[in-house]
Amino acid sequence: MSVAFTALDWIWVGLFLALMIGSGVLFYRLGRRSESDFFLAGRGLPWWLPASSVYATHTATDTPMWITGVIYQHGMAGIWYTFFSAWAAISSFVSTRIFRRSLAYTQAEWNVVRFTGLGAELLRGWMAGWQFFMNMFVLGWVGIAMGKICAFLFGWPVWVGLVAFSLVCAIYVLAAGYWGVVMADFQQGIIAFLVILIVSFWGISVAGGPAGIIAKLTALGALDRMNPFAFTGWWSGSFPTAWFVTMLVIALLGGFGMGTTVDWYVEAQRIQSARTVRDASYSIWWGTVLGLVRNSVWAVSILAFFVLFPGLTETAEYEMGWFRLGFDYLPVGMVGFFFAAILAIHLSTISSHLNLGALYATRDLYQHYVNPKASEAQLILVGRVSTVILLFGSFFYGLMMEDLTSWLIFALWIMAAGIWLPNILQVVWWRFNAWGYLSAWIANLGFSWLVVWILPALGVIPEIPDYQQFWLLMVLGALVYLPVTFLTRPENMDHLVRYYVQSRPLGWWGPVRSEAARRGLLLPASAVHAGSTSG
Amino acid sequence: MALIRRSWTAHEADEWTREDWVAIAISPTCYVLLTIGLALSLLLQTSGYVMLAAGIVLTVLMHYVIDPKLRAVSAEYERKQQAYLNQLEAQVRWKDTDSEDL
Repeated sequence: MSVAFTALDWIWVGLFLALMIGSGVLFYRLGRRSESDFFLAGRGLPWWLPASSVYATHTATDTPMWITGVIYQHGMAGIWYTFFSAWAAISSFVSTRIFRRSLAYTQAEWNVVRFTGLGAELLRGWMAGWQFFMNMFVLGWVGIAMGKICAFLFGWPVWVGLVAFSLVCAIYVLAAGYWGVVMADFQQGIIAFLVILIVSFWGISVAGGPAGIIAKLTALGALDRMNPFAFTGWWSGSFPTAWFVTMLVIALLGGFGMGTTVDWYVEAQRIQSARTVRDASYSIWWGTVLGLVRNSVWAVSILAFFVLFPGLTETAEYEMGWFRLGFDYLPVGMVGFFFAAILAIHLSTISSHLNLGALYATRDLYQHYVNPKASEAQLILVGRVSTVILLFGSFFYGLMMEDLTSWLIFALWIMAAGIWLPNILQVVWWRFNAWGYLSAWIANLGFSWLVVWILPALGVIPEIPDYQQFWLLMVLGALVYLPVTFLTRPENMDHLVRYYVQSRPLGWWGPVRSEAARRGLLLPASAVHAGSTSG
Repeated sequence: MALIRRSWTAHEADEWTREDWVAIAISPTCYVLLTIGLALSLLLQTSGYVMLAAGIVLTVLMHYVIDPKLRAVSAEYERKQQAYLNQLEAQVRWKDTDSEDL
């Protein structure tokens, strides 16, 4: 397909790009004040700004493609695939609150706030390096999706869309750092949400409105596609209830931990940029709910696409469904506005990952390990150089992505499966130490290769669905990290007491709490209860 | 004692209490009801309207329960924040902070 742009369409695109670059210039002076400004906007944002950034960052160019894919395949039940982001439901009031109080710039830095000694430093170094790589990978992944959309629309070579718009984005990220990211995200979030509503409702209208969609689904014998609980049995079929339960456990209970999903690492930066603990909690809660509501609107519009184009079997064909609703049906002059919104979706994700990857490189690698005496000006310079390295690295990854996809999806899986429970234990259990956590990472690396690829290939175990792999990896990992935890010493009590008093974690912290109380660092429980009865 | 407490001192708010657990229970329910409720409402389903309305009511209730506590926690914590930030900067620059007073 090739879309014809009128002059009005190009004016929309030009205006939008000018607005984005303008915001970088506008906040340049704020971004260069300090490391805290360049990466956390000075920790002074009201909740709605990081909330809009949470929403905008997690609305990427590939998001409508994969949501279209799962809804087209499974009907409304496919919406549960998007429910992984619901970890924020509990996290907003538990781990977000605890992490905000730690004040750690990154999840890597949190390791040395929570743990001590060599183990903590190894964790910090490993996580910082891993996250630098992961952000480069995500930039390449999202960038190549933009390249494919531009190829689809204009017939451009794939690299043009990848390189051109990431370069534009880098201008305001380099200039203003996180100030530029979050201010642009706010505008991009509004534009993207508005256009998602316009295109989706336009598509629903083209399909005959809700009544028309239901009538056509009935005629196709596919009315169960409206049922969000249309599973294929408890254990059998392509969409079993057991998968649904596993997803709910991963998503919801994961909110008690930190890093239980890949999104946490992005949200950690937004949490620390909020001006208070309360602002941090609401930024995560409301940013996520906006994303979930957006998914609901998308899901209904994909049902509209399904009744307009039923029977598509090629993934590459139906994954573009939501884009087709916009480009095929919007009136002349609005197509450019739609493309500008796609740019908004794209730039918000690119900018966040450029700045986040640079944060890990600057704070955790350069400042902590290379030049601890670095001045603020040096740190900002390193932040900008890291941004450029990430940018060019993402071009490399993006253009290799076709070959790397399966390997890198596996890399993402590593982060989620076997260390899901350790990510919770590190928050809720005082006795869990750095060596236990480190061993969990290492064990998961080995076990996930064995369970996902090697043992099935050798015929030792059958190939099992991903939700069963999750439970198996969780049990296998525990066989390693629990003995390691108990065979190594607990963390230093002085350090734990300091951490407890500062962060007030939820869970099994009895000995640490008792020690903190003994030192007079907490009000006696009786005083608290007396206050409760009179309050 | 009131079922839901809305007046907190900073020290009291630092404890994990029933109000936190109420918010922890209601919050995921809100997410499910708002997500599914809105989708089904857009398809003009009665069940969707009911779920969406329930989701909005529970969202308001959740904020009613947890907001006073979050305000109290924040007010107290922001007062101490600068000292904690100084500790963090010392840590990133390899200055030993464990021996300092808490």
